[in-house]
Amino acid sequence: MMSTRFSAKANALSRQRHTVLWLAAGPALFALALLVWPVARLLWQGLWGEPLAGLPLDDTGPWWLDGHLQWRVGWTLVQALLTCVLCLVLGLPMAWVLARLEFKGRMAWQRALMLPFVVPTLVAALGILALWGPRGVLGAPLAQAGWTLEGSPWLLLLGNLFFNLSLVVRAGMDGLAQVSAQRVAVARTLGATPWRAFWRVEWPVIAPWLASALCLVFLYCFTGFGLALVLGGQRWATVEVEIYTLIAHELALAQAASLAVAMLALTGGMAWAYAWVERSLASPARITPVPRRPVRGLAIWSGWALALGAWLLLCGAPLLALLLQAAQAVGFGQGWEVLREDDTWRAVGNTLRFSALALALATALGVLHALAGQAMRRWAPAALAWRASAYAPLVVSPVALAFGLLLLYPQWLASWPLLVAAYALLAYPFVAKALTAALDALPDQYAQAAASLGAGPVRVLWRVTLPLVAPALRRGMAFAAATMLGEFAVSLLLSRPEWLTLSTLIYQRLGRPGSANLDAALVLSAGLMALALLAFWLIEGRGEPRRVPHQD
Amino acid sequence: MTHSSFDLPKPLLARFEQEADVKLQLIQGGDAGEMLNKLILSQAAPVADVVYGIDNTLLPRAVASGILAPFPQAAGSVAQRPTLARMADTAGPDGVVAGLVPINYGYVNLNIDKAWFAQKGLALPKSLQELSNPTYRGLLVVPNPATSSPGQAFMLATVAGLGEQAAFDWWARMRANGLKVVKGWSEAYYTEFSRNGGSRPIVVSYATSPAAEVFYSKEKISAPPTANVFLPGAVFRQVEGAALLKGASPAAQAAGVKFIEFLRSPAVQQALQTRLWMYPAESGVARDAVFQHAQEPTQFEAVSLQALTAQSGSWQRRWTQVVLK
Repeated sequence: MMSTRFSAKANALSRQRHTVLWLAAGPALFALALLVWPVARLLWQGLWGEPLAGLPLDDTGPWWLDGHLQWRVGWTLVQALLTCVLCLVLGLPMAWVLARLEFKGRMAWQRALMLPFVVPTLVAALGILALWGPRGVLGAPLAQAGWTLEGSPWLLLLGNLFFNLSLVVRAGMDGLAQVSAQRVAVARTLGATPWRAFWRVEWPVIAPWLASALCLVFLYCFTGFGLALVLGGQRWATVEVEIYTLIAHELALAQAASLAVAMLALTGGMAWAYAWVERSLASPARITPVPRRPVRGLAIWSGWALALGAWLLLCGAPLLALLLQAAQAVGFGQGWEVLREDDTWRAVGNTLRFSALALALATALGVLHALAGQAMRRWAPAALAWRASAYAPLVVSPVALAFGLLLLYPQWLASWPLLVAAYALLAYPFVAKALTAALDALPDQYAQAAASLGAGPVRVLWRVTLPLVAPALRRGMAFAAATMLGEFAVSLLLSRPEWLTLSTLIYQRLGRPGSANLDAALVLSAGLMALALLAFWLIEGRGEPRRVPHQD
Repeated sequence: MTHSSFDLPKPLLARFEQEADVKLQLIQGGDAGEMLNKLILSQAAPVADVVYGIDNTLLPRAVASGILAPFPQAAGSVAQRPTLARMADTAGPDGVVAGLVPINYGYVNLNIDKAWFAQKGLALPKSLQELSNPTYRGLLVVPNPATSSPGQAFMLATVAGLGEQAAFDWWARMRANGLKVVKGWSEAYYTEFSRNGGSRPIVVSYATSPAAEVFYSKEKISAPPTANVFLPGAVFRQVEGAALLKGASPAAQAAGVKFIEFLRSPAVQQALQTRLWMYPAESGVARDAVFQHAQEPTQFEAVSLQALTAQSGSWQRRWTQVVLK
């Protein structure tokens, strides 16, 4: 008896092990071939490879002995942490307003949260400058008052906030939707003040959601490239910009590699710690969300106004400034011209084609990654490592990656499959992350019940699990699509004129003098924004995002 | 393989494909310096047969890396015809150095925002020394020589024009005088230059930029809103060339030669003027009408290939030390 039962259990375990291996093979091989191996190749070349012929600049020694590079590393760390703190302090009240209050235009605001995400980096930087720059809408009056942001770290921080604040707001909303109305009610009946109820009941529930978003924010800011390149200027730029300069322009691979290794260690450790926090905090929840209430009372009303105003100023106004300029370009300039050019429509076609292909690939990879992680739960250390690995594409320096790919697959570099794969690589973490969080929150009982009624694992997945996590999957895909449409890092790879995409076209127009080109770039940016918004809207659907099935 | 500014009319390229019976595949590798480094990194399995866009400032690196193949000598070919601009001082009348054939040239110099100077009633600077006076405090924006080819060209002009020590003294004074350094030409021209919403009325750009401003203007204006200022020690002639790359098959090499000849053909030399905003290297090619706003300077600085090979790296380190660190 004992032995048969034991062997049945062993069989089940080995079957599960097989499932894990099958699920994990796809994403693991993909990441190995397109991420780990190219970066390792570049680092190897830098640290131990033969020096390249071609007059690289003299090596000035290890970075930790160079004052300039010390400053870069220190500032990169500080700006990322500072952005996280600002995002939390500003984002949480906004999330509360969106999750707990009912007001006209709430859904519109909720959708607008995604706007910053879909704006190409250089265009966003132009938007920030149009608002805060020395001649900007707000920058000019500030400069009059003797308070100029030019050459200060604020431009980069405002840029960081523009891109990341909405991420934290969104996560805070998701977290607040997981708070059980009964528990809050019980706490209040037992005499807890609203503050106390918040800290003791609500905060523990939303903390992992916020931690998850803040981790992303940190990684984005820490490894940030495009924004720091433009808004950081020469003094407030980040390490990634330094690595880019060292590799792309100076061929100083040794120094770049040692710098990249240090960055990798720091961000890798961060991703690991985060995966651990998220795993230990997440718990399945079946709850009735706290109902929304109308905006009533002076305190609530002014809170609402402050939150909305701050968001509009930080995230909305730069885009409005940009749209204003685009409208001016169409109305008074030569903005219309660009809509009649063949290049424009080819770029639109390419952007849609590449994004659709890459989205399909990213979704497949993301789903496999999340399911493998779920199946791995039994083996805690492995599961943790696997979770952390979803962040690898966001953690690794895009510059090191692009040049590693060049060293490793020169013959493929100008081919479209590699381009699509590169887009998918940078986008699949969004799908994997959203789905992993949803699977964590899903009670096991549904799947167990279906299985006990005789459904096979595939059927359980298809009929029970996937429909339950569908909103999260759609959200992840929407994020992934938006990221791809305005991707910056992929432009570091080689490109061919016939694969012109909207973002490369914008960079191209900005690379030529003359107001017609600036007008064209502005109109194209507005168009790209509209396109990304449409894609996001189509994918996420009209319904209330991530409605949790309530039971009990 | 070209840099990302390369742009020729499509019918012209299609005609070349038909006449030469080749399939042309263009690959863009970013800024010129970046493109060259990508070629060096991938030299084990070259991604292209021909390269266009290596300029005279990048020539030493291209030569040292050994990626360029020699250009075959044939009677009447571009390697035999005289050119208006040579790749380096060591070249003969054909201008070819180490297989790099000159295609076009241009000047990197200061551009000013005419309206800004008119409104402030400020006189234009007559020399680099004047520009470092407090009168012109915080007016100049330059692209970083480490990350931009016009930036590199401008730095080389100051070193050649003023002498190394005086040039870096000048840069140090400019730093104290509110000099702004940005990553590349686009940032300088489109975000910092006062003509385009920035705060700086003097920018490092090209001698053809005022003409481009007219060409791309809203209501077809007749006078450019910007102007060239040719100061001694602040004008550099940039010569861009094309070359065959090592590792190509003989058939690809033959096609590559045809392509380079095509780049020097009158049709391309005519078309590149208002596409790349450069002057044609082939003599006897008519200038586009809009180039009346792009008069060539009478004087410019030159650095010998030997000095460039031996010292451009250390100049760049020194520049970063003096201006940024």
